[in-house]
Amino acid sequence: MTTTRQRHTGRRLGDGAFVVMLVLPGLALLLAIVLYPLIAALVTAFFEQSLVLPGRTFAGTANIASVLEGDFLQLLNQTLWFTVGATVLPFAVGLGLALALNTGIRGQRVLRGVLLVPWLVPGVVVSFLWLWIFNSNYGVLNGVLQSLGLIDSPQAWLSQETSAMVALIIAKTWTSFPWVMVMLLAGLQTVPPELHEAAKVDGAGTIRRFFSVTVPHLRGIISVVLLLEFIWNFQHFDIIWVMTGGGPAGTTRTFAVAVYETAFHGLDLGKAGAIGLLWMVLLMLLVTVYVRFADPERAR
Amino acid sequence: MTVTSPTQDPTTPARPRTPPARRRARRQGAGGRLAAWIAVVVFGSFALLPVYWLLATSFTPTQSTFQYPPKLIPTDLTLENFRRLVDNPQLLTYLVNSVVVSLITAVLSVIVAAYMAYAFAKHRFRGRKSLMSFVLASQLFPQSLLLVTLYGLFDLYGLLNSYAALVLSFTTFTLPLCVWMLKGFFDTIDDGIIEAAQIDHASRWRIVHSIVLPISAPGLVAAGLFAFVRGWNDFIFALTLAGPERQTLPPGLVNTFVGEAAAEWAPLMAASLITSIPVVVAFIALQRFLVGGIAAGAVKG
Amino acid sequence: MQRSYDRRALLRMLGLGTGAVALSACAPSGGGGSTPSGDPEAKDFTFASWSLADDASKIGPQHLVDAYQKANGGTITGLPIAFPDYLNQLLLQIRGGQFTGVAQLDIAWLSAVSALGKLRDLGPLAQGVDYTDTALSTGQLDGKQYGLPWTTAAIGMIVNQDILAKVGADALPETVSDFEALLVEIAATGVLPYAASTKVAQLKDMLIWMQTFGCSLIDGDKITIGDDASVDALTWYKSLYDRKLIAADVERTDARTLFSQGRTAMYDDALVGKDVVAKQSPDKELINKIAPHPRPVVAAGDTPQAQQWGHILVVVEGEGAASAAKFAKWATSDPTAAAGYFKDVSLPPTTDTGLAAPEVAGDQFTTQFNERVTATATPNPFWRFPQYAQMENAVSEHVQAALIGKSSPADAMRDAKKAVEGLV
Repeated sequence: MTTTRQRHTGRRLGDGAFVVMLVLPGLALLLAIVLYPLIAALVTAFFEQSLVLPGRTFAGTANIASVLEGDFLQLLNQTLWFTVGATVLPFAVGLGLALALNTGIRGQRVLRGVLLVPWLVPGVVVSFLWLWIFNSNYGVLNGVLQSLGLIDSPQAWLSQETSAMVALIIAKTWTSFPWVMVMLLAGLQTVPPELHEAAKVDGAGTIRRFFSVTVPHLRGIISVVLLLEFIWNFQHFDIIWVMTGGGPAGTTRTFAVAVYETAFHGLDLGKAGAIGLLWMVLLMLLVTVYVRFADPERAR
Repeated sequence: MTVTSPTQDPTTPARPRTPPARRRARRQGAGGRLAAWIAVVVFGSFALLPVYWLLATSFTPTQSTFQYPPKLIPTDLTLENFRRLVDNPQLLTYLVNSVVVSLITAVLSVIVAAYMAYAFAKHRFRGRKSLMSFVLASQLFPQSLLLVTLYGLFDLYGLLNSYAALVLSFTTFTLPLCVWMLKGFFDTIDDGIIEAAQIDHASRWRIVHSIVLPISAPGLVAAGLFAFVRGWNDFIFALTLAGPERQTLPPGLVNTFVGEAAAEWAPLMAASLITSIPVVVAFIALQRFLVGGIAAGAVKG
Repeated sequence: MQRSYDRRALLRMLGLGTGAVALSACAPSGGGGSTPSGDPEAKDFTFASWSLADDASKIGPQHLVDAYQKANGGTITGLPIAFPDYLNQLLLQIRGGQFTGVAQLDIAWLSAVSALGKLRDLGPLAQGVDYTDTALSTGQLDGKQYGLPWTTAAIGMIVNQDILAKVGADALPETVSDFEALLVEIAATGVLPYAASTKVAQLKDMLIWMQTFGCSLIDGDKITIGDDASVDALTWYKSLYDRKLIAADVERTDARTLFSQGRTAMYDDALVGKDVVAKQSPDKELINKIAPHPRPVVAAGDTPQAQQWGHILVVVEGEGAASAAKFAKWATSDPTAAAGYFKDVSLPPTTDTGLAAPEVAGDQFTTQFNERVTATATPNPFWRFPQYAQMENAVSEHVQAALIGKSSPADAMRDAKKAVEGLV
């Protein structure tokens, strides 16, 4: 970010009304579609309110207490597992592919296009496709593993706690690695080749050049990709809901699933609001910590 | 894209130059190329085998889809599943709705995000940082929680069961990403260009519309493509906020093929395949913008 | 841009958020209070139905809609919503005043939908119609007739007679211990003996086994899950699971598929299942091999347990409600309509006249099902709570925890009891 020159322009253009008009449409949308509904929903955390019964009564912190006394820690634990898994794995796959495509191997343009397909298959279809692949009775995964002799009998992947979580992470990885790949590929294309040349002259090998030239150059984009992925996965709903519904025995239930279930099956808007409230406080804390430690400019 | 930038400043965004990559490629050793191919094959299979299975299932007669062990290479191919789509005009409606909603979302997001990003990039004003934090923080909010209130809100304004409810929601949810991408892009625009235009007495809006936006076209397209995907993929909001006539593909497909009785895998896969083709083709055609648009602006983060 | 994640700025945001929360605490929020509007006498109305969404069953309600429109004028707008999302979407729409008209309901959902306070009492309409008592009771709540019964049956054991014959049996044994021995014999032939539900979505079938073992689920206001009978039932169920006499990862649709492929000897289903598995099956003869059987009991002579199952039509007050109510009555009681519906989707009528019609009375599977299963069926005691779905879910989840070895049957049942008590 340049400073002097921009500040100079800023003063010249710095007409309050102009800025307000630039910012207003977006701000209005955010206030109406996110902030207002959010606050209305969070307020219910302090009330006893049902989705179907009219009226509500003030309940103080009873909802929050009941969430905290319930399976809150388990939820948090599972949400974090999913979020971290579904952030790290697509990152690894996306990075691998971006690096490979960036070497300019033959057919990279076609490959790049084809690899976007998983990203463009609607999320629900992704869930059903993987549900179909992991199906214990007819699934192609069992078929392949069994014919290779890796398992003796079909496994119920989605009905065992660890494998169910892994299956969800794999399905989520499949739909989100393409955008990670695209972002990183974009970043890689801006690494000036001269830097690599210079490092080469200094005798740095491929791996050292990756860490000493490529990574620092991509630092900004990497931290943003990871942050956004983390946030999106934290609130991911579709795939978990369709594939496991939070099961088996609630071992893949995340906050997003719990909020939806509490509101729409339990019909308990108050408790759903309480989960949401705790979620926000937590995420704010996490992001603050992340920013404190991962921000390259502050870290310096 | 026809506007030539007045300066040759190296920071001026332009389409990505591919030569650097290619130059480097030629210098890549055999080992590097081997590693690249291994990565492509391993990760590529992970990416494409499920697509193959989607394809194979969609050409399999419904009754044979439940054979175990499954035939990896289907032998009794059929078009039966595709024929059923022809009998179901509703699916076309879903497809049209999806395309309309996603396109408007893409355009609207780009417009709204571009103005906001421009303010963030080129102006210093009070509350700028707080506002930028708020825009990003709005991603943190639990979206599944917004559903109940949003439903009531759109109902209040008579927007339920309309494109507007979906477009407004998706635009808002995609705004942070678009603003961030475009701000990165605008940051790289040399202030000299803007100053020069001011000396020519161009109005502020004219500067935005006829100078800044045109040279940012690759970034705008890239942001638009991301916004498009957000609208294209959503399930739960599309299901809740749109009635049967405005339903998009994801809830539409579920409504059609996942009933009380049984999930019809083969027709579902066939329908997903057919309806994804237009978008996949469009994205493959536009993909250079996707990478190029981000590349030009995003690195600054 | 990283600078924009500035910690202080974020904290400021947090502060702003807190302030706003305080502000809007005073603001009213949509609490579902809008009063019904519109002309109830209007001829046009909406018909919400998951059967209309489902390719396999849409022909049934569609024929009814067409016939009614032709005879009475007015336009019936279909609102098809897929079964898995149906209840949530309907609740939201009724709550927001978006939906008025007639809606198809599973009998389990009546208390949740009626809690919104917008259902019309159809008692006067039901007068003089020869609905069976059992059928009528599925639409009653708190002494009001909110629903007219569309079809009434039960969840029972559906058996593939061919597979049974292979081990020399032609019916399910009367007692659970003989039943278990039969399952072991069937397992030896290489098919899955019993495709019982093991996924949360349908693990509520397990409640019927708990009742079989003598647990009443609820006694007055007291939750009796967690008593010895329920623990015995779960221990038994888990032993079937561990011996692979029942399989993991199975819910209703999976069970139907396994059954239609001839890969399981039996499963739990409602009457509606026969058509589904027959249509799905590559074996055109399967339809002649299916038979319903009473569920085994613990001690010979006990009453076999079965859970009621059925669809009702309810009317939501507002625009077109009166016409919708007329349609509901016609669809559920007109002999021609009922016979046509039975022909389309094999769901039997709910009136004595309808049941006596030769097509219905002459259908062997339907009559067998009524005699062997529906005859002793009882409603699920959780249904009277609006949040019954979450209760069943809580029990199911703890049952599953025991099945996958996360907790012991006794602990699981104790936790289930606690969870359900928290929801009452």
